[in-house]
Amino acid sequence: MSTQEEIERDGAVATRADDAWVTIVWNDPVNLMSYVTHVFQTYFGFSRHDAEARMREVHEKGRSVVSSGGREKMEVDVQAMHGYGLWATLQRSGE
Amino acid sequence: MKGFTARDGAAVAELDDEERMVVARIVADVGLLLGGEQFGMDSPIDRDAGTDEADEIFRHLRGLEESLTEPDDPAVLRLLPSASKDDRDVADEFRRLTEHDLRDLKVARLRTMWSQLSEDGPDWAVAPADAMSTAAALTDVRLVLASRLRLASDEDAERLHAEIDLATHALATDADDDLEVDPERVWLGMLYQALTWLQESLVQFAMEEDAGE
Repeated sequence: MSTQEEIERDGAVATRADDAWVTIVWNDPVNLMSYVTHVFQTYFGFSRHDAEARMREVHEKGRSVVSSGGREKMEVDVQAMHGYGLWATLQRSGE
Repeated sequence: MKGFTARDGAAVAELDDEERMVVARIVADVGLLLGGEQFGMDSPIDRDAGTDEADEIFRHLRGLEESLTEPDDPAVLRLLPSASKDDRDVADEFRRLTEHDLRDLKVARLRTMWSQLSEDGPDWAVAPADAMSTAAALTDVRLVLASRLRLASDEDAERLHAEIDLATHALATDADDDLEVDPERVWLGMLYQALTWLQESLVQFAMEEDAGE
């Protein structure tokens, strides 16, 4: 969870245009906790521990910021998440 | 039905003939829902060989046209969701850029799964490298079933499990005449549960496989 807060804080103060967007994954009643964890591990290269922390944040808080960067990169990440059947959106950080 | 376990370097599940038929059919239905050609009509090899340049261009034009609006069917919308909750421009551009590829990816994965389920014998073998794409295809089928079952929240999912427990208990005790449940909902719900259980076993396999490397 602390890792997550750092990312959001960094995102909120970012002034570089290529860091101005974030990818958010939203909770749904269908996706399995194990599956979401493994998708986060394999796609984003998170450790098992970090992947589980983000999965829990999605499950308990309804959403988690999983990546940040330029808009095009975020579109790639969102597309990958949709490919896995997770519901993800992109938005400017700090919104 | 037996869930996926490691055997001879692959993930292998066991489904009897009826189970294979039911699962293959819902897989094909989801493929159709995504605009794929009917599974089993042409072999995928023929289809690829028959694609010429004009077909390709036409396909892309059709894709561009389709991609301007959100799908009307809530199940298809869940497979191809909006990339923004409140920014129309972001959502539209994302859909224009990605929807066609996402549809193709999902249909191709479903087609592979359908072919495996259409083979003879009880074993359903998935190579380790294909475990996550198969799990993703199972997710897509479960998303469509969940949409049809109107599962919008975790509480809805829990309620469904309770309904099915009630229905199966009533069937076992011959009290189903009094039961106020929709048999079609129970049937779809049980299929949803079976696919959830199969997917969970496949993800466990994938996790152990990756941890072992």
